[in-house]
Amino acid sequence: MNDNNTTCYIYPDSPATPGVVTPDVTFDLGIDMNIPVKMDDGKKITMWGFTNDGSMNGGTFPSAPMRINAGTIVHTRLTVDGNMWNHTVHHHGIEPADHADGVGHITWDVDGTYTYQWRPMHAGTYFYHCHTNTVLHAEMGMYGALIVDPPEGPGTLVSPTASSSAITYDVESFWVVDEIDSRWHTLEWDAGTCGEDVGLHLLEPDYFVITGVDGSGTSAMNVASISATVKIGEKLLARYVCAGYHPQHIKFGGLTGTVYLSDGRELPNPIQVTELKAVSAERYDVIFEPTEVGEFIVTCDILDWITGNVLGTIKTNIIVTA
Amino acid sequence: MERRNFLQFSMAGLAKVAAGTTALTVAVSSAHAATINRTLYITEGYITQITGEDIYFMGFSNSTSELNIPGDPFIIHEGDTVSVTIVNTLQTPHSFVIDGQIDSGVIEAGTTKTVTFTATRAGTFFYYDKLNAPYNRLCGLHGPVAIMPRDSTNELYPGSPTFVKQQFWLFNDIDPIWNAMVENGNTPNTPFIPRFFTLNGLGGRPPGAPGYSDPTLNNMYDPRSYLKGSIGDRTLVRVLNAGMAQQAVHTHANHMEWLTSNGQIRPDIWLKDIVPLDGNGGIVDVIFPFDPPPDAWPPVTTGTYPMHLHTEMSQTAGGGFYLFGAITDIFYV
Ligand SMILES: [Cu+2]
Ligand SMILES: [Cu+2]
Repeated sequence: MNDNNTTCYIYPDSPATPGVVTPDVTFDLGIDMNIPVKMDDGKKITMWGFTNDGSMNGGTFPSAPMRINAGTIVHTRLTVDGNMWNHTVHHHGIEPADHADGVGHITWDVDGTYTYQWRPMHAGTYFYHCHTNTVLHAEMGMYGALIVDPPEGPGTLVSPTASSSAITYDVESFWVVDEIDSRWHTLEWDAGTCGEDVGLHLLEPDYFVITGVDGSGTSAMNVASISATVKIGEKLLARYVCAGYHPQHIKFGGLTGTVYLSDGRELPNPIQVTELKAVSAERYDVIFEPTEVGEFIVTCDILDWITGNVLGTIKTNIIVTA
Repeated sequence: MERRNFLQFSMAGLAKVAAGTTALTVAVSSAHAATINRTLYITEGYITQITGEDIYFMGFSNSTSELNIPGDPFIIHEGDTVSVTIVNTLQTPHSFVIDGQIDSGVIEAGTTKTVTFTATRAGTFFYYDKLNAPYNRLCGLHGPVAIMPRDSTNELYPGSPTFVKQQFWLFNDIDPIWNAMVENGNTPNTPFIPRFFTLNGLGGRPPGAPGYSDPTLNNMYDPRSYLKGSIGDRTLVRVLNAGMAQQAVHTHANHMEWLTSNGQIRPDIWLKDIVPLDGNGGIVDVIFPFDPPPDAWPPVTTGTYPMHLHTEMSQTAGGGFYLFGAITDIFYV
């Protein structure tokens, strides 16, 4: 029973899932609102996130990846229990029925258990995040990668067609770049929803992370699944997600990559890039085929959304061997 | 503070032109170049925000007793001759500019000027006050312009993908400190820290909030802003940013066909669920295709979905009030 209604906002109860069928895959998510993450300066920041076993503890930042093949029927079962109060799951870029879209104010925020049923039809890089008091909950870290593979499964980015061969890769990196304003990380789940000025118009980040790791120093260098080691002749797929709210400018350290997809859709003509600019929630799938041995430092500047000034920079690396 | 005899508006006073098209300048026939006449009154006043605070604004209004922010659209065709009479009712100089089309020059305080131009280039533009930039524009002196290709009613530019409907999403960011400085004749000298974010002049009101179902208060219910259509009702949205912040325009239910950025036709049309919108006058054109949501199981053809800026600070008002910012709905009917 949802007892969180206020004079500013109604929280209706969630119904049974419409049109429910037996799924091919189920993700069982719970909520953890006390995930300490240690930054390079030794400070522990409290993050929020989803657990991947339906329980109310053991969450990680970012939340565990979801990975499925296109065309499969998926259940995302969200359980919100105890004093964790309302949350949702929105599968960003996935376009299901509204009752599976996880947008609190259009349907319902979840207090108890609700199952989102959906069937992804387009391979690519997505992410899932909470859509309750979104400004706060997504900033608090309630997101995880969502990868839709083509029917061939991991290793193929784009299926072959009658006129073109498959786009494949050998090594995969996840560059989910985000900023954190530690001031926000002491707020309650419903902060600001009933008129209080809690400063959510102003995001002044003091930490900068890539896929959950402080990226301002060397902590995100030589880290599995963020940085990559690739041999000449191999193909590296970088799945880049702008997970923050401020714009970003990512540079590939001298390597040239080919963008085949953005936002889960194939580009009509792939583009060659040495850098990209992105705004909140954009995704780019970039394949690198390095031709020379060496270490290449990938940097991503986080830019103020008004001034364009560099607020912080994250770094990771690509090591190319013979 | 001395309050001059300003107009005092609640948000409800603002959007009453939404449902009617009397003030909308639309050239109905495209077969022959039309002549269009319109009068705009530069007015000022206070608008009461959801937080209760009154903020100073100026607008290109339809009468001396209104404060229209944004000003009502011009929807015209290449080759049309447009004559605009601007009545500056204020004590400060202003101007009327459409980049590449017309610049009135200074319209002195308390004077009236008529400018005439022939529309020469299809696309999406602002009309705005170029003086005291960007402050007068930020304080409300802006509105949208659609120049349609000659003899065309369903293209953005000659040969573009076609649409069956079109509308505008015009965003603004409001820093009350800057507006107060402009009101008092000063040049803002503080960092721009917006506390209110609007779509076509309005913020949102979530379910349960006062004014939720009032289209003059809630941009989710404002027919100028929401998209409503059935499968196949391809809708061109001309997206303009009068504010200063770079934004991320995000639709649920369908990816957008991204046609232009800042007046440039993009080399390829990408399908995007996020389209970047530059601050300080950025413009993009997109088509929302109204295809069935592709990932629904079982399949659906109806439902309600949001459009919101993913730069989530823009979803707030006065430092809190999530969902009282720049958001609207997409109705599949
Ligand atoms: Cu949440
Ligand atoms: Cu999102």
